[in-house]
Amino acid sequence: MKESKAITYTRHAVLILFSLFALYPALNVLSISLRPGDRLRSTDLSIIPANWNFDSYIKLFTEQPFLTWLGNSLLVSLLVTIFGVTLASIGGYAFSRFRFVGRGAGMATLLTTQMFPATMLMLPLYVMIARLHLVDTFLGLMLFYTATAMPFCLWQMKGFYDTIPVSLEEAARIDGCSRWQAFTRVTLPLALPGLVITALFSFMTAWSEYLVAAQVLQTSDNFTLPLGLKSFQETMSTQWGLYAAGAIIVSLPVVALFMLLSRYLVSGMTLGAVKE
Amino acid sequence: MTGRSHQSSQIHFLLQCFRSDIISLMLFAPILATIGCQPEDQSPQVVTLWHQMTAAERTVLEKQIARYEALHPDIHVNTLYKETEELRSGFQAAALAGTGPDLVYGPSDAVGAFAPMGIIQDMRPFFSSDELAEFTQESLIEGDSENGKPNSLLLVGDRVGNHLALVINRNIAKSIPQNTNELIRLATDHTSLSGNLGLKQYGLVFNFIEPFFIIPFITGHGGWVFEQSEDGLLPALDSDEVIQSLQFVTDLRNKYRVLPEGCDYEMADTLFKSGQAAMIINGDWSWGDYLNNPDIDAIVVPLPIVTSTGRPMSPMVAPRGYSLNVNSEQDQAIAAMDLVRFLTSAEVQMEFMNSLKTLPSRKVLLAAAEASDDPTLQASAAQRKRGTPMPVEAELRGVWEAMRPHYQALLNGSTTPATAAKKMQLDAKVNISRMNAELKPGPIVWVIQGVAILVAVFFLWWQRHNFRRFLGDLKQNRFAYLLVAPAMIVLVLTIIYPFLYNIVLSFSNMSLRHFRDWDVTGLHNYQEVFVEPVFFIVFLKTILWTLICVAFSVAIGLLLAAALNGPVRGKSLYQLVLILPWAIPAYITALTWRGMFDYEYGAMNLVGNGVLGLPMVNWLGEPTAAFAACIITNIWLGFPFMMVIALGGMQGIPRDLYEAARIDRVSRWGQFRHITLPMLKPVLIPAITLGTIWTFNNLNVIWLVSAGGQPSDKTHILVSYVYKAVFNLYRYGYGAALSMVIFALLLVFSLVFLNRTKATDAVA
Repeated sequence: MKESKAITYTRHAVLILFSLFALYPALNVLSISLRPGDRLRSTDLSIIPANWNFDSYIKLFTEQPFLTWLGNSLLVSLLVTIFGVTLASIGGYAFSRFRFVGRGAGMATLLTTQMFPATMLMLPLYVMIARLHLVDTFLGLMLFYTATAMPFCLWQMKGFYDTIPVSLEEAARIDGCSRWQAFTRVTLPLALPGLVITALFSFMTAWSEYLVAAQVLQTSDNFTLPLGLKSFQETMSTQWGLYAAGAIIVSLPVVALFMLLSRYLVSGMTLGAVKE
Repeated sequence: MTGRSHQSSQIHFLLQCFRSDIISLMLFAPILATIGCQPEDQSPQVVTLWHQMTAAERTVLEKQIARYEALHPDIHVNTLYKETEELRSGFQAAALAGTGPDLVYGPSDAVGAFAPMGIIQDMRPFFSSDELAEFTQESLIEGDSENGKPNSLLLVGDRVGNHLALVINRNIAKSIPQNTNELIRLATDHTSLSGNLGLKQYGLVFNFIEPFFIIPFITGHGGWVFEQSEDGLLPALDSDEVIQSLQFVTDLRNKYRVLPEGCDYEMADTLFKSGQAAMIINGDWSWGDYLNNPDIDAIVVPLPIVTSTGRPMSPMVAPRGYSLNVNSEQDQAIAAMDLVRFLTSAEVQMEFMNSLKTLPSRKVLLAAAEASDDPTLQASAAQRKRGTPMPVEAELRGVWEAMRPHYQALLNGSTTPATAAKKMQLDAKVNISRMNAELKPGPIVWVIQGVAILVAVFFLWWQRHNFRRFLGDLKQNRFAYLLVAPAMIVLVLTIIYPFLYNIVLSFSNMSLRHFRDWDVTGLHNYQEVFVEPVFFIVFLKTILWTLICVAFSVAIGLLLAAALNGPVRGKSLYQLVLILPWAIPAYITALTWRGMFDYEYGAMNLVGNGVLGLPMVNWLGEPTAAFAACIITNIWLGFPFMMVIALGGMQGIPRDLYEAARIDRVSRWGQFRHITLPMLKPVLIPAITLGTIWTFNNLNVIWLVSAGGQPSDKTHILVSYVYKAVFNLYRYGYGAALSMVIFALLLVFSLVFLNRTKATDAVA
């Protein structure tokens, strides 16, 4: 289907405008990472600074245990993603399709857990983690991240299932599918965009989280990337070059993951199976 | 823990549960059984040290630790770097939980909080008086230790410093100012504001917006922040000397124009490092960077004498050193103290002095530093002699918190030095009395307990039908419950304990003076929340903040999703760029935004004023503009998420709906309004609800962009306001109560919102 020129131009105009808005501050981070002498600010607008070099990137990989941190972060984030997507995809299905007692209360409870200022929970959270002997372990961290991401993931999956007509499942049941089969073979594949968003969100929750990690992890070898990055930050003498270079590298897997998953977001999958 | 036994009912029982692990054991027994009981290898003995040394200092430290471990093969030293404030709050939490590192290393003012909290112990038993006699007096901090034992040794310093001095770039300024008249003349001579940005040059820069940096001006004028009285330490901010020094400092900017508008730490540092400032006032932690920078020719000299008084500008001087965790017992403490003995030895101090030019804490070495022919060491030693010891009392925190807002109000011209000084004094007194508030459990505790029981009973009675129905439904709907159970269990496990703990805290007197021995004392925290008039202003700001941020994020997200959802060339490239604000860690992008809002050098004004001809905006100095700056940053951070959600949701919309609309000649806007939006609702409602909640509770952006609520604490939203109360003034009980109020507000909002949008309804 062809669109009129006016509409195509409008699309591009909007996208270019906001791309610039998105890009400029991000380029500033790049600029800091290339700037010698640990200067956070600059006195001009240039993106490629004078005397630029890759020293910060080289230092990051040669003088810092950056690869260890990267490995830790990948491990934690991927496991959280798997847990999160699994639990949310089945839980969200139940919330969407069944009317059971405590359903509304359950969904409300999910929301209420998000309402508490997380910074205020740090002290009791640490006390709990210390009593469970989970200090400096990934298990405590993963449990917490999965729980943090869960409410959004569940709600989101429920929302996606809601957009999928029940009649498809009913047809599958008539054709001899069990309830579980109808879910896994018919509904779940159709909720793919939802799964992608849930995965991305779970991953991001674990990937960029800093506050809780700082409480739980207490040896440099166990650090996740955000913690590693923050160890370049000091009161009034931050190693800005390393910090910015690290931030750029931290964002690469996220962008890669998004690009990988995005074709499921905009593939133009059609739900033409039902005429209602 | 104190074993008060006069409370025996519900709340006290709950409290006991927390303290004796019953709840956690009940909830976590299965997990504990599988992972908590691994036997630990006992050898070698591990000594843990948390410190806040800079990167350069860490290199020296690691080398010395390696040497120590070689000498003591049975000991392993585990070091962990934490930034100052995180070291403080991390250590407090760990010590409260009965764990934590054996040693903490930091500046002496941390002791001012650790001592009243009772989380560090007396080190005197481990040292002989002859040993201690070798240290300068200022490097050994004494005070009351955990059980109020007087004259306890709480910190053994390995260096003295943290003092400010003047650094001159000799490529620009050739002479050394001896008094403030010369300083101003030199600074004005080397300030040139003509030409384009890269050629601008300032005479004297420093972290102009932070009170710590104006202390030398106050002391030089003969003032000081405290006075000793019969009632203990009192703030002394409302003096003629302080007013004169405030006038002097504001003149630097307003009359002589030797430094840029809104000059913060990073701006001053950047200007000096890039050779665009003749002089900087900065602390000993920064000098190494300047001396090693090839673009400038830096020299450190003592601060000049104030011409009008003849007194030298005297910065605060503080030792840095080691303190011993109260939870570190017997063998552990002995091993830790042996490490401290090594790390404060003459040999190690020499290493630090030679490679980093720090001033040692041993008398002999300090004398050697004074006589040294190294110009930096010499200047540093001379400056220390003119310095004033930094008070270790926790009250200093209350003074900083009182000075900052009024000082910043003075800088943006909304008050006069005399009024600012008066208000600083008042606030400092209030802060100190709040920090030191003594609250004992009163009869109200009984009332709270009674009400708590009543509420619980009423709830059970009110919900009795639902419980019965639930039990019946459990069999019927087993499949549904099975699907939901795993997620709910994970959630409840992690959230419920901290949540209940916080409720109990909100009725307690947990604070600086009652950190480990807190008690449930009543409703006073809630009372304070509503009595402070600031609460309502901050609440209104929070609503404004949330509404604007969410509305724009959603609108931009929808717009972009609509633009992307169709035939567009370069779709992947657009997506890649548009996702960046979400992908790059916010704790650095928020700081680059702060840079973009800088008055003179930030992109917002350079483009806005220079290219578009808009008026200059003092983004970070004016309360309203600073708040707007935070909002813009947050929208930037938030729109990609909403875009992704909307994109995903649009895939679920059947194409034939649009076909039908087109046949009926419905306009594009009409299609969006009547097809896209309603069809997106199930996906958007949860995102908007949660987005609202997250925005309401978003501390990071405010904290980073406005540097903790600046100017003058005018950009706070509720969470940042709580955070400040808790972490700056140690009001844990108050913070817990305020977070309960935030919780209640959000609960009401969500119930209303969800009820109206019917988002919890199922399709089946």
